[in-house]
Amino acid sequence: MMDLIDLSKIPDADDRFVRFLDDLCQTLEFDHASYATLNPVLGTVQGFANYRPDWIEHYTRKGLHRIDPTLHYGRKSISPVDWDRLERTPHFRSVFDDAPQFGVSDRGMTVPVRGPYGDFGLLSVTRDCKQQEWESLKKKVMGNLQVAAVHMHDNVMQSDLAMATLHRPALSGRECEILQWVAEGKSQQDIGDILSISHRTVEVHLRSGRSKLGALTTAQAVGRAVSLGLVKPG
Amino acid sequence: MIIVTDALNRDRHTDIIDEMYRLRTRVFQDRLGWDVKVTDGREFDAFDALDPVYIIALDDDGHVVGCMRLLQTTGPHMLSDVFHEILDGEPPLRSAQVWEATRFCVDTERLARAGRARNSISYVTSEVMIAAFEYGRASGILDAVAVIDPVMNRVMIRSGNAPYDYLGTAKPMGKVTAMAALMDCSEERVARLRDFSDIRHDVLTPENIVRAAFESARKPTTHDHLPEALRTYLEEQIAAAGSADEQTAAKALAATIAARYAKEDGQKSQSVH
Repeated sequence: MMDLIDLSKIPDADDRFVRFLDDLCQTLEFDHASYATLNPVLGTVQGFANYRPDWIEHYTRKGLHRIDPTLHYGRKSISPVDWDRLERTPHFRSVFDDAPQFGVSDRGMTVPVRGPYGDFGLLSVTRDCKQQEWESLKKKVMGNLQVAAVHMHDNVMQSDLAMATLHRPALSGRECEILQWVAEGKSQQDIGDILSISHRTVEVHLRSGRSKLGALTTAQAVGRAVSLGLVKPG
Repeated sequence: MIIVTDALNRDRHTDIIDEMYRLRTRVFQDRLGWDVKVTDGREFDAFDALDPVYIIALDDDGHVVGCMRLLQTTGPHMLSDVFHEILDGEPPLRSAQVWEATRFCVDTERLARAGRARNSISYVTSEVMIAAFEYGRASGILDAVAVIDPVMNRVMIRSGNAPYDYLGTAKPMGKVTAMAALMDCSEERVARLRDFSDIRHDVLTPENIVRAAFESARKPTTHDHLPEALRTYLEEQIAAAGSADEQTAAKALAATIAARYAKEDGQKSQSVH
């Protein structure tokens, strides 16, 4: 049987992941956020959440992670799954009927992330609001949510010692070259002109480079690339 | 008409997906000569086991005539695991906001017979692309990298859908070459595609309409067993349809009712025995 591990309760665990979820809720206007991943070696579900402690307690005590459709169906999707698609699955009601009394909305969405080693992560967000508001919120934040989900997942994976040894960012020549020009202070437009490629191509390589380096901003990506010796300081 | 399938709804559409695997055999093995694995007439590989999304196009008669497969680039996908040759040994892109499109094809034989308009090659190609881009946009995707052959590349350039760049270089693959094309998943590109193809409607068709069309193609039964008044009514509805969409809906209704009656007939004869 799978165990559910609240990573924030591990002694000496740093709280940056829960803080990341808090920040995410603040900036993207959600009530709650949670992240879960299945550890294929230990067979455990590991996660973080900023739900009320009594909901986490209830969820853990009842072992709801064993039937929670947001985890078990969510992981098989490649695109974000609105929970309204899961309402008719066998266990949705048994998991979420009690949720409102713990201040948790059953209006939510799960963003699945697939990692390079068959690993996967699930970032879920909820918000208690009307349908129309929910739809417009989704439209507004979907891109940011995708980026946040991959960022969270990659950082959790890299924080794990076993995974960290496997993780070597494989930057392509183009990605290194573009990051090098960024390090030297060139704008995306300049770089496009220098390399005779469209600024859109510059951008797609930059996004990919950021993702591989586990960075949210280009400045962060340059910093990490420099520290890994992939790019010379500008 | 387009149906999007994924791990959450595919149990309801295994027969449509099966037809898609057969279409892929005709295209990638028979026509393009790619080294693909075909089992019982169906082409599918390890990436089909990773719960991808399929964008599947059906013509008005309910035949599968086009498809595309989508995977995230953050996890295992074809350019990282199989097609890396195209990238000249470079590692592939990896981004939360880039999806990979592979096995993009249309049934050129069937569509060439149909000639122009709604069932033409360029119409179905545009329909699949519009569906993929709109579906991607709703999921927060900004770009797609597509593994395509030069013929598909030309069709796309001529349909207001030119890639903005390519990764690596085209590489021989069977009888043709394969290349990795970059396309922005933008409102502007969807608008260009819609202008070119003059597709104005929502291309994602409700599942029940797709299913009825698909099932009626499998059962090209007459409606003879229906009560005469009902049969006349349904035939009139089909004849009176003002647009192709209305006609599809009328045919779907007729098929649903015919199937319902066939089932009841079956039950009656069972109870007699």
